[in-house]
Amino acid sequence: MATATNDDLKKLLLGGDPAFWERLAVRTREAAEFDELFFLSSLRKKAHKRGVPLPSATPEKLRLALVGGYSLYPLHELLEHFLETQGAPVELFVGDYDNFTSEITDGAGRLHAFRPQVLFFLPSARFGKYPGQLTDPRAAQEAEARRLVQHLLDLCRTAHERMQCEVALANFVLPARHDPGPYRSRTLGSDWNFRKLVNLELGLAAPPYVHICDLEFLANRRGAHGALDDRAWFESKQPGSPAFLVDFSRELAQLILSLRRPPKKVLVLDLDNTLWGGVVADDGLEGIEVGDTSPRGEAFKAFQRYVKSLKDRGVLLAVCSKNDHAKAAEPFEKHPEMVLQLSDFAAFTANWEPKSDNLRRMAAELKLGLDSFVFVDDNPAEVDIVRQFAPEVTAIYLGPDPAEYLATLQDCRLFEPRSITADDLQRTTQYRSEQERQSLLASVTDMDAYLASLAMEGVISEFTALDAPRLSQLINKSNQFNLTTRRRTEAEVLALLGDAAYVTFSMRLKDRFGDHGLISIVIGHKQGTNLEIDTWLMSCRVLKRQVEEEVLNELARLARAQGCTRLIGVYLPTAKNEMVKDHYPRFGFATVSETPPRSEYALDVTNFQPVPTKIKILRRAYEPS
Amino acid sequence: MNQAEVIARLQTIFDDIFLEPVKLTPQLSATEVEEWDSLLQISIVVAVEKAFGVRFRVGEVETTRNVGEFADLIARRLQEK
Repeated sequence: MATATNDDLKKLLLGGDPAFWERLAVRTREAAEFDELFFLSSLRKKAHKRGVPLPSATPEKLRLALVGGYSLYPLHELLEHFLETQGAPVELFVGDYDNFTSEITDGAGRLHAFRPQVLFFLPSARFGKYPGQLTDPRAAQEAEARRLVQHLLDLCRTAHERMQCEVALANFVLPARHDPGPYRSRTLGSDWNFRKLVNLELGLAAPPYVHICDLEFLANRRGAHGALDDRAWFESKQPGSPAFLVDFSRELAQLILSLRRPPKKVLVLDLDNTLWGGVVADDGLEGIEVGDTSPRGEAFKAFQRYVKSLKDRGVLLAVCSKNDHAKAAEPFEKHPEMVLQLSDFAAFTANWEPKSDNLRRMAAELKLGLDSFVFVDDNPAEVDIVRQFAPEVTAIYLGPDPAEYLATLQDCRLFEPRSITADDLQRTTQYRSEQERQSLLASVTDMDAYLASLAMEGVISEFTALDAPRLSQLINKSNQFNLTTRRRTEAEVLALLGDAAYVTFSMRLKDRFGDHGLISIVIGHKQGTNLEIDTWLMSCRVLKRQVEEEVLNELARLARAQGCTRLIGVYLPTAKNEMVKDHYPRFGFATVSETPPRSEYALDVTNFQPVPTKIKILRRAYEPS
Repeated sequence: MNQAEVIARLQTIFDDIFLEPVKLTPQLSATEVEEWDSLLQISIVVAVEKAFGVRFRVGEVETTRNVGEFADLIARRLQEK
């Protein structure tokens, strides 16, 4: 699809064509210049005003507040634009210039009344100054930096505790002027070193609910000289040049989206001219380029090294190549310079089927949604086929120069972990164990005997603060086995802990092949003698392992312990949770109502008999461990 | 470039930015155009600086009261190039 011109967009807008929105989103993704983005944003607002119909139901607006020591106009405009065109419309609160302390601390003020879900806080650069002399003792300068870090984090904590919001906190841009000369690096009293220390400490000391918006990095990436703009400061208290406002708002949008959207899970790679130079079936094992003997070979090797580091960070790797299987595997088995090994891949497909079909099959085998897949190829035709026939996959064209493959992937922003949990690091092992389980399944025909042979052990626990990162991670990424798809930030999860109206638990599962980690989450909402199941979700890795049965057993037990007589199950259909459409009837719930947007079911638990399973439950929720 | 020539060039920039066509005249001021708010003004200044290859000095755009004065300012900055 050719990129729409300004006139194309205006025509779609004036004609009230819903295709306007998709074209606008594509243009926004590709646009780099401030004035272009600003133009697109004003078109977006005009399209709303004229009521251009939106293509699908829009999600609920995220309440986002911006406060800081700068004018947040027009940053807010770009931010709103980036978020909305990426499917996350926001309701904005824009604080007054330099009024953040009172806004954050005044419980009766406008900010508190707004009840933000996310608060962005941009401290002024004048904070990032050591107030004493360049020659003061280092200890005094360090103490001042720590005091500032503490002060900023205290404000964040106040906001988080009193408004239950996640906080995005900007750090400081380093100066771009020569003053005071090379001496800057010899004292913590210079703005240069003082801000570096403050930024470093902020990042290291920030609690999980504070997300650093790294302006130091962004200005460094652009060049601080091009990021700062004195005239814009004097005229309208802007935090930087128009170009920097684009970098800044894009980054902040990305950060806010990442609170609710998981990174991608699977990286699928082509082989010939992607992982090595040349075509192994034509050039032979000796003819392909990889390794330190040629510049091209070095580039491919560096790319492989980076791909391997993604795997070490928890990304699943897979191969999808148009090749003969044996030929495709040969370099991994025999070429001494290969960094990646066959054991690094959770799936390996080399055949002559269309890649889009192969990707679908792979997703089914790994029990993951296609939308968690990223596919990279050096061949634009293959990328195009995947974009057309498996549009859920993010397909990346690597370009003509292997030297740039690495940078293309490093800048794709699809594999950025918000936090790295121990579960992530185990993931490839988990999926490889899944393959072993599958082969065991193939060897035993009796499902019961198979399940018994797995020696499964489950641990059920009420929500804990310690689990909150993983709980919110799973709540935000689970799509298929998810009855209501209600998303919650870490702060919202933590807020449930002390709320007597809610019964919450998660379940972990282990078997003789490995530890699956935390795989199921339930949130029950007490309403008189009913316990309504607000959230029931499960990782698809453990489908048909009787986890559902054990979760129901636990739900019934807890409902009765709370004096409830009925469980109320709700199913909210989405594009992805068809799998659990009949979930409640299957477990014996009676239908209360079934409508397209919402179905409700009920189960009387007064005489509930636990369903027997092959899982040994080692601990139950709200019991001493 | 004289005022009329600058305004003719400005017209194409405005046509790109504004949804409802705005006919530029030397007397026209921002207050007479509904779309032309302070946010759009920032966009106009950035686009104008880029298109004409000029850079305004601090505060001077604000002192122009209508399109004619803005065009004169652009012409002055162009002469310095």
